[in-house]
Amino acid sequence: MSNPVKTVKVTVDNQIIEAPEGTPLLQAMLDAGLDIPHYCYHPKLSIDGSCRLCQVKIDGMPKLQISCNTQVRDGMVVHVADPEVEMTRKGVLELLLLNHPLDCPICDKAGECWLQNFSMRFGARHARTIDTRRKRGKRLDIGEQILLDQERCILCRRCVRFCREISKSNELFVFSHGDKSVLDIYDKRLDNDYSMNVADVCPVGALETKDFHHRMRVWFLEDTASVCPSCSNGCNIMISSARGKIWRLTPRRNDEVNDTWMCDAGRLNYKFVGDPARLRAPMVAGEGGPAEAGWDEALKRAAGAIADFVKRNGARTFGAFASPHLTNEENFRFGEMLRAIGAGRIAMAVPRGRQDDFLIKAEKAANARGVRELGLVSGDDDGLEAMLRACEAGEIRGLYVCGGDLLEVGQRERVDAILEKLDLLIVQDLAMRPRYGRAAVTLPATAFAEKEGTFTNHAGRVQRIQRAIAPPPGWRTDGEIFTALMNQLSDRAERFELESVWAAMAGDGSRFAGLAFDKIGPEGAPLDTA
Amino acid sequence: MAVQVVKVRRPAATFSSANPWIAILKGLWVSIRHFFGNLGLFLRGRQDFAIHFPEQRLVQPPALRGMPVLAQMADGKERCVACGLCEWACPTSCITIYPAETADEVERYPEIFDIDMSRCMFCGLCEEACPEEAIIMSRQIEIASYSRRGSLWHKADLLVPVDQLKTRTDYIRRNYER
Repeated sequence: MSNPVKTVKVTVDNQIIEAPEGTPLLQAMLDAGLDIPHYCYHPKLSIDGSCRLCQVKIDGMPKLQISCNTQVRDGMVVHVADPEVEMTRKGVLELLLLNHPLDCPICDKAGECWLQNFSMRFGARHARTIDTRRKRGKRLDIGEQILLDQERCILCRRCVRFCREISKSNELFVFSHGDKSVLDIYDKRLDNDYSMNVADVCPVGALETKDFHHRMRVWFLEDTASVCPSCSNGCNIMISSARGKIWRLTPRRNDEVNDTWMCDAGRLNYKFVGDPARLRAPMVAGEGGPAEAGWDEALKRAAGAIADFVKRNGARTFGAFASPHLTNEENFRFGEMLRAIGAGRIAMAVPRGRQDDFLIKAEKAANARGVRELGLVSGDDDGLEAMLRACEAGEIRGLYVCGGDLLEVGQRERVDAILEKLDLLIVQDLAMRPRYGRAAVTLPATAFAEKEGTFTNHAGRVQRIQRAIAPPPGWRTDGEIFTALMNQLSDRAERFELESVWAAMAGDGSRFAGLAFDKIGPEGAPLDTA
Repeated sequence: MAVQVVKVRRPAATFSSANPWIAILKGLWVSIRHFFGNLGLFLRGRQDFAIHFPEQRLVQPPALRGMPVLAQMADGKERCVACGLCEWACPTSCITIYPAETADEVERYPEIFDIDMSRCMFCGLCEEACPEEAIIMSRQIEIASYSRRGSLWHKADLLVPVDQLKTRTDYIRRNYER
């Protein structure tokens, strides 16, 4: 930067903290690891100063100041552990709780509610009120995905600012004044592509997603840091799982990718993982249609069929569709396997959809860029048209297809005619699809939440996904399937281990070369752009 | 690593903590009392000292913790709102709850509320954790079954009208801070 930001020093309770000039004092204190209660301040939203909870005592100022709307100044002396500050917090919390319904047992936020946490830590033990609590609207259906509970609302206006500044759709407002203030919608319902983020920013249970409403208590959830698989933006997420099931996805902060937001479509796209229609065992074609088979048997059948095909038709007539949903490592191993076979052509079908200028990208798969960076596919359409032509011309007579995206590219009759003509079809997919009915072997694919690996997003940032729920015992992940087939086809004894695969990838001369696996932190790392 | 010495403030010794043999004698006194009491009865000709369960039963004290049950209100519905605190408090994880929504004023109820009685250890932590006085340690102690599946009690089996639980609810209101 040409104009470096000056760093200033602030004394907070005898501790000296440093922060760039212009930082809100609250943010500086939070960054230093201090525990300052606050509601309305959000690092990605403008400052509102409505909750009054973050007040601190600053030398030279006559009254307590809200630290969110106070910028750090050099030589500032701040007192937090101060009886006056403590008393103020207690008073503010008592005010916020004055009309709070205290229906924590039925509130989905209970357990991660800031009002609960801060009242327990900084508030009074018991309420002094004797009047009945104010009644307001509960369970108001204000949008496709969101329920509003006006009794629980503490009027921090985070959601209002979110709709004004981030989604720019202006649905939520606070109406009336003083103790009659109430959060509501006005002329349109809360229906935008990012509406569910208001439930994240809401520090209490006033805004809840319908998807998570009365489903699971948050204290049973186990969080796994991962990456959203729904488009090539690669928003960082937390997978919340319990009892072997995913219950919700929430955005994880990454200033390089998604700040603290994610779109509703991505957030709701986890149900396929636990879909009962998913393939739970390999299927092998038999007399009376596909039948379940053991893993070893199915892999042996697949390897045998490929070897047989290559012997009869030559390796050049064998082609493959790589999947943009699989990780970098798996696709690399897929490439190795195809090299071991000597396959003639590789293409990739990428599902496409709507995009906007914020987070939603047109490519509805997480790792299309990774497949391209590995050099598996080339061309504007990732070799799709050329592959379809080669199949039609009879140059490609056997296909190994990963994923169901080939069926989604349009040109339905054309693709079906090609699939009908093939001598050998091996499919690796999440579910059985009737249009892949001619597959000799169908191997179950593994969902993003059940495996480890890395995705490369549209901008070339490599980010890790991690296993949140365990697949059934004896399960082979996609990478293990490719490795087993490669071993059987070329008499090798490789294993699928992330570090060793990554080392091979880096040694392959691809753009992954400059990147060590253990250097990919929780926020990912950019590919070597040189 | 440097060894750090942490000084623990111990409570001052009281008379009973300084003289543990008093507690031992107190406990032993129960045995002694029963021994000589029964000996006296035996010498006066009594032959049978057993309580013939189930025809004959001891009077159960209100502190007795039998099988946990769900309080059923007058309208036949459970008082439970499926908050999951008992599930969390349970040391043996014998409770499984799946919540659901109703149109009632209390919008949440347990769609599934299962207790695995073969795992329950009758500690009563669920009862203590419950914010609604909905799960209560009943006086029901006859819960044996012929199969393991029979030890899995579902919501319908667990519901007990709340007026039948009065002894225990009075007791917990007296004894727990709420």
